[in-house]
Amino acid sequence: MADAPRMKVPKEAEKGEIIEIKTLLPHIMETGFRKDENGATIPRRIINTFRCEFNGKPVFSADLESAVAANPFMQFTAKVEESGTFKFTWIDDDGTITTAEEFISVR
Amino acid sequence: MKRAAVLALVVAALTSTLLAGWVLQSRMAARAQNTALPPLDTAGDAASRAWKRDPTWPQRDESQFNTLTNNHLSPPAPQAPRALRPPISGDPANGQKLVADRTRGGSCLACHVMGQAGDADLPGNVGPDLSEIGNARRDDAWLFNFVYDARVYNRDTVMPPWGTNGLFNDTEISDIVAFLKTLSKPAVFKSALDDPSRRPPPVEKRANLDALENPGMWAIDKAPVLWTTRGPNGSSCSTCHTKPDETFRTWAAAMPHWESRLDRVLGVEEFVARHAKATTGHDWLMQSDENTALATYLRYLANGVPINVAVASGPAKAAYERGRALTALKVGQLNFSCNDCHEKSALKWIRGQWLVGQRGQLDHFPTWRTSLQKTWDIRTRFQWCQVNIRANELPPDAKEYGDLELYLTAASAGLKLSVPGIRH
Repeated sequence: MADAPRMKVPKEAEKGEIIEIKTLLPHIMETGFRKDENGATIPRRIINTFRCEFNGKPVFSADLESAVAANPFMQFTAKVEESGTFKFTWIDDDGTITTAEEFISVR
Repeated sequence: MKRAAVLALVVAALTSTLLAGWVLQSRMAARAQNTALPPLDTAGDAASRAWKRDPTWPQRDESQFNTLTNNHLSPPAPQAPRALRPPISGDPANGQKLVADRTRGGSCLACHVMGQAGDADLPGNVGPDLSEIGNARRDDAWLFNFVYDARVYNRDTVMPPWGTNGLFNDTEISDIVAFLKTLSKPAVFKSALDDPSRRPPPVEKRANLDALENPGMWAIDKAPVLWTTRGPNGSSCSTCHTKPDETFRTWAAAMPHWESRLDRVLGVEEFVARHAKATTGHDWLMQSDENTALATYLRYLANGVPINVAVASGPAKAAYERGRALTALKVGQLNFSCNDCHEKSALKWIRGQWLVGQRGQLDHFPTWRTSLQKTWDIRTRFQWCQVNIRANELPPDAKEYGDLELYLTAASAGLKLSVPGIRH
């Protein structure tokens, strides 16, 4: 449960309203530059891609690099014209894909 | 007929077992309501046996210097200044490097502005500005002795005994003296940020109770899962405590408290370890993820409640007085007491770190540390401080830490809990 993505999306909005979306994925974002106590480099393992789609259409996406801090937090806006589902996708260097969805009702 | 009798006996046995179980459970529940005597494991340790320092921390062994348990280890202060034959010739260029050397426990720039000290930045202002000390007409022997061990001139000094405690050797101190003698003009700072008298103190404004802002809040999701996880005894926290958010609405605001069965002050973390062990069999040692999550949760449940710990009489009062005395004890190779930084030097800078007083610390622990991606409880904070001033730390359940925690919590009396905190 501690590893589940966390999102803040309004439950309702007016048609044409610009809403704010916040997302956070608990993730170590190991940069690949740190060394352990024996001097060996700890291999890189980060979330390299974040995507947000609404009703199947792209809204926002980002390519992340090593400089992004642990627990990547993404905050962006979206203009909603109809009710539907936001789908969030995080892609890990190791191939793991994490997804989450939030529904919004638009008047 | 016989079979019916046997059946009757079996039913009777089952019923009485169930009844006994029900009686035991309601007794345990009744005991849970009597907060004066929650069961505690008094036999074992609440922290890892054979305490070992976190491997990512500096691994220096400081056993030749005072700790909070033994203040007869450090070399004694000299009775008089060392008699030195002038001139004391040193290399000012090397002195300039040494005063900025962070690997030596500071060094000098941590507390003193020193004119143009090479590429070093962010000097502190715990000690006086030494940018014009070269004009002060102090003789070489005086300067040398002040650096070697300032206690010969000021018994109450905050300054580390750089020579007596082996941080610098005589040649290096001579180099520092040579550098000091070159300082004859006020410091010219690169910017207002570099000048400790103009640097704005940091203010913590982050929303520490927002799980999207503070990963420390994730403990509030973890803890209820731990609460219902059965231990080796077959029971869980929820066996007795079905509604923790009601039962513990104010509990943590009165912690730590004196525990006579253990003859020590018990903080929330140690309480969790000993109480969980005694009731469920769980081994949730102090500083484990589980212990820290539960300690965070129990304090979180009392958020908004003013801190109110009992220190007015009896053993609690004695513990409080011991805690107060501990804040005055000089420990470590750098020879600092808690008060040196958090009372005498409160509201000043050590290098780029802002020092605050003792009040206002215990209302936000455990706290998430963004630089470490970990939640720290207060005992970890104590240990880290000791290691940083080059003293050996004590195990987290040390009695001295309990006394100290009680004293510092009392110093925050009336402040409302806001846990978990978030800090660098």
